[in-house]
Amino acid sequence: MFQYDFMQHAFVAGTVVAIMCGVIGVYVIARGVSFIAHMFSEIGFAGASFAMYMGWNPINGLLLFTTTSALAIGQLGTKVFRRDLSINVIISIFLGFGLLFLSLSTKNASNAFSILFGSVLSISTQQVWEVLGLSIGVLILLLIGFKMLTFDSFDPVGAEAAGLPVRVISITFLLILSIAVVGAVQIVGALLVFTLMTTPAAAARHLSQKVSRMILFSVLLAVIGLWLGLVIGYYTNLPVSFFITAIQGIFYFAALGWRNYHERIRIKESLDETSTKRAAS
Amino acid sequence: MKNAITLNNVNVHLGGEWILRNLSFNVAFGEFMGIIGPNGAGKTTLLRVLLGMIQPQDGTVKVGGKNIKSAGSSLIGYVPQSRQIDPETPIQGRDFVSFGLPHKYRPWLTKQDRILVEEVLRLTDSEKYADKPLGKLSGGERQRLFLAQALLRDPRVLLLDEPTSNLDPGAQENLAAVVQRVNQERGISVVFVSHDVNLISKYAHQILYLTREKYVKGTVEDVMQPEVLTKLYGVPVEVMRSGAKFLMSSPNLMEPVTPICVHPHPEVS
Repeated sequence: MFQYDFMQHAFVAGTVVAIMCGVIGVYVIARGVSFIAHMFSEIGFAGASFAMYMGWNPINGLLLFTTTSALAIGQLGTKVFRRDLSINVIISIFLGFGLLFLSLSTKNASNAFSILFGSVLSISTQQVWEVLGLSIGVLILLLIGFKMLTFDSFDPVGAEAAGLPVRVISITFLLILSIAVVGAVQIVGALLVFTLMTTPAAAARHLSQKVSRMILFSVLLAVIGLWLGLVIGYYTNLPVSFFITAIQGIFYFAALGWRNYHERIRIKESLDETSTKRAAS
Repeated sequence: MKNAITLNNVNVHLGGEWILRNLSFNVAFGEFMGIIGPNGAGKTTLLRVLLGMIQPQDGTVKVGGKNIKSAGSSLIGYVPQSRQIDPETPIQGRDFVSFGLPHKYRPWLTKQDRILVEEVLRLTDSEKYADKPLGKLSGGERQRLFLAQALLRDPRVLLLDEPTSNLDPGAQENLAAVVQRVNQERGISVVFVSHDVNLISKYAHQILYLTREKYVKGTVEDVMQPEVLTKLYGVPVEVMRSGAKFLMSSPNLMEPVTPICVHPHPEVS
């Protein structure tokens, strides 16, 4: 399997993107902006189509559209975009534009398919370097901002009270998120960005009560899910994105079950303790 | 000696109306000041002025002898009013408190950081439940963690905006006692906003009663007088005194003129 360049590319690029998504996903969920991440991916689809129409590298179109929309959302405030209606309207508009640019461009439909559903097994060496650059850049920015971002994401009122520049943090995070979405689109496609961006982090929330461990679990689940998806996809010759989404889904429900099981045990222990105390008195 | 807080003729105009007019008062270092007043009187606005989040149109505001021109002074610890916590929040109390550590960029905690966190947990009597997730804690337990978080910056002034609202009487007393301990052990000046004048009068050295039209400031003995309170509340008010403790009640509670919530004491009612 690893004798093929395309598998090497898929593993290298996929792993770095999974690590990035595992980390940023914890903050996406804590800040309640998962639908904004989804919106970025749809806007990115229009950007990539536009780039193809203009004869550019699709990643440039993706970056142009997502970062511009991140700045616009940052100016208007994320609260406006948490409303379902705003997001639905924007997603519809940009999907429409994506379709328009695709029909105007001379490229064939396989390009559109790879933007929408990912093309991890067909990424070139140049794309690997692009994805590595984006992902490592995002991880460095997250590391620098870790302390302030964590405070603002999990306790926004406390962060403002402590005098943190909450508006700057919010806009910067949206910009970082828009770049991260571009990386994730390369691997799982615009329609399945949730798979890597939020599902592992959502599962990790059920596994730990510490932010650092939550990030660790989220990264582990994202990476393991991606590796398994690649291996199964390679041997079955079925779409890798499908296996990645299915495995992440299994991880999420397993984590939920684990949390519920432990909750029941805790309640039972508490009841036993109370009845023992009652019997003793 | 310099005051911890000095307000001189402060005027604040927000949303087309004057919220604070010609407000002047001092809070000495180590003093516990209670602020009471009806909803919309400008209590939260006053705290935000002290934090530098709102700039007054006129007047001077000094904290620790320095003019407050922007938010984020390390001299001030603030426990805000509205802090809704999702019951599903999985973050454990100790982790939540450590968010308040003053460094901005270091992603890991040092041994010194951990000692600081344990110290504020001890001071606020929160060690017992600090390992539980925030969403599973009672309102009083959470408030003590919020207080612990604000103390991590080693402030000289602590501002608390209605920390006892939505707490049962026992939890209110516990929290106020913890704040008093912080005030006494660390010598931190406290500004404690509450609707419960009986609670405030028990712990505060001085009281500021704030409305948009007027304010009254004085020691607890000055303010806890039937004639003063009757004038302020607009209903007949009785004050009972037992040693250094005061208890206010109004026989006319069914017709409150101001929206202040006064809980009748069981011994009185």
